[in-house]
Amino acid sequence: MKAISVRARAGAVMCVLVFAPRLADAQFGAGFGPPLVNAPPPMEFETSAEHYAYLLEQAGGGTTHTFETLPRWDGLWQTAGNTAMDAFVDAPRFEGQVREGVLTPEYEAAYKERWREQIELGQVQYDRLTHCEPPGYPRFLLEPYTHEFVNLPHMSYQINDFDSSIRRVHIDQEHQNVTGTHSWYGDTIGFWDGDRLVTHTVDLLPVDFTRWAPMTSNQFESVEVWELHSYPDGTERLEVQVTFYDSYAFVKPVHAVYAYRRATGLEDAGYRVIHWECELSNNAYMDAEGGTDYRLPGDEGYVDPRGFTLFPELPGQSRDPIYNTTLGDD
Amino acid sequence: MKRTFGWTLAALGIGLLAGAAGNAHHSFTQFDRDVELVQTGTVVRWAFNNPHSWLYINVADDAGAETLWSFEGSAPVSLIGRGITGATFEPGDTVTFMYCPMVDGRPGGHLGWARLGDGTFVNPSDGGCNGNAANIERWQEWLEEGFTSNTEAVAATR
Repeated sequence: MKAISVRARAGAVMCVLVFAPRLADAQFGAGFGPPLVNAPPPMEFETSAEHYAYLLEQAGGGTTHTFETLPRWDGLWQTAGNTAMDAFVDAPRFEGQVREGVLTPEYEAAYKERWREQIELGQVQYDRLTHCEPPGYPRFLLEPYTHEFVNLPHMSYQINDFDSSIRRVHIDQEHQNVTGTHSWYGDTIGFWDGDRLVTHTVDLLPVDFTRWAPMTSNQFESVEVWELHSYPDGTERLEVQVTFYDSYAFVKPVHAVYAYRRATGLEDAGYRVIHWECELSNNAYMDAEGGTDYRLPGDEGYVDPRGFTLFPELPGQSRDPIYNTTLGDD
Repeated sequence: MKRTFGWTLAALGIGLLAGAAGNAHHSFTQFDRDVELVQTGTVVRWAFNNPHSWLYINVADDAGAETLWSFEGSAPVSLIGRGITGATFEPGDTVTFMYCPMVDGRPGGHLGWARLGDGTFVNPSDGGCNGNAANIERWQEWLEEGFTSNTEAVAATR
């Protein structure tokens, strides 16, 4: 074996570093079609409710669609980039500094620590999804698993393959909260303005935009405008212009655009969304130092996603019926 | 089906990485992404599961004693776009693969690339290791020269 020099190790590290920013930047589908353009509302609103009411008034109360006239967005979609981080970090992304004055002092300080991990350590040390929290909203918008958008006259269903998350947009209705608390996807109402879907989301649990982005509070709300765009080069992209409101986290509302493209390649390959959950298929956890670690087969607490049910003595209780494998400790 | 994968298909699939990589729901601090190692072993199980796939492989030491190793890969939704399915690795297959090891030294890591029995390369990686086309190309040269570690290979080529 040849001796391993410090220089050689530095070279290997350099290889990794060269690829890391590109991968991280590309992982939510950026680069598909023309550059995304933020289209914030024509004026600032104090609250999301005012913003939504303004858009509803501008739309003359909205468009009443039937099954025959509704925009069809069903099928599989993949993320096609977003501009959310541009609001919080000065360019170049993954090398820039946290932009001051966007977040409130408490949230800015918390985010600077998160960003410090990203920059200095190469990655944020722990992600709350590791222990199977749902993405929640707004993270739902960028999760890079598949999405589905099913429009019905009274409801639009927005589905994210990650842990089978579903948002429901109640068309031409008022907000309701009979549970008396907030939830991962909150309560969303909406109306159609021609082929554009306008939504208003409230009553959310505190989450984050993603692992390396700011945290949100339980006062986070949004107004979205969804529209399918077709560009001269043939690009078809479902874009959502979003204004985020958060009285705890933001000094003033933040605007971003998210996009999706049809996942025709996946459909051609026969991919179908199947229900899955995280509890029975995940062995990642937070270690004593607040970092991320794994339980491997044989470790205490290891969960075998393809093991047996609570009734292994019964025939047909394996979750691996095709190959019927074991890992030695099954 | 798995034996029909050719280099072209693999390369095309790898090209999709730019739009699909990094589906992780977790950080990758448990892996040393600076270190890339190569091993050969026998597939015990290919768990093509969300939120991550896992490849379990028996690796024999010089005395022939086998140890079960565990390697994380990307999510099925990403891997299908690269031509990888739940049948790409089957129990009993002999596979050579590159991985980034766990920092605590336990028998596991994050998958980079894998070379199937017919010699074709596939990229099952996520953000924990680099299995893209450029790195496969680099490693093909290193493999021909007998290297099983990127640090050794880099040292020798400087």
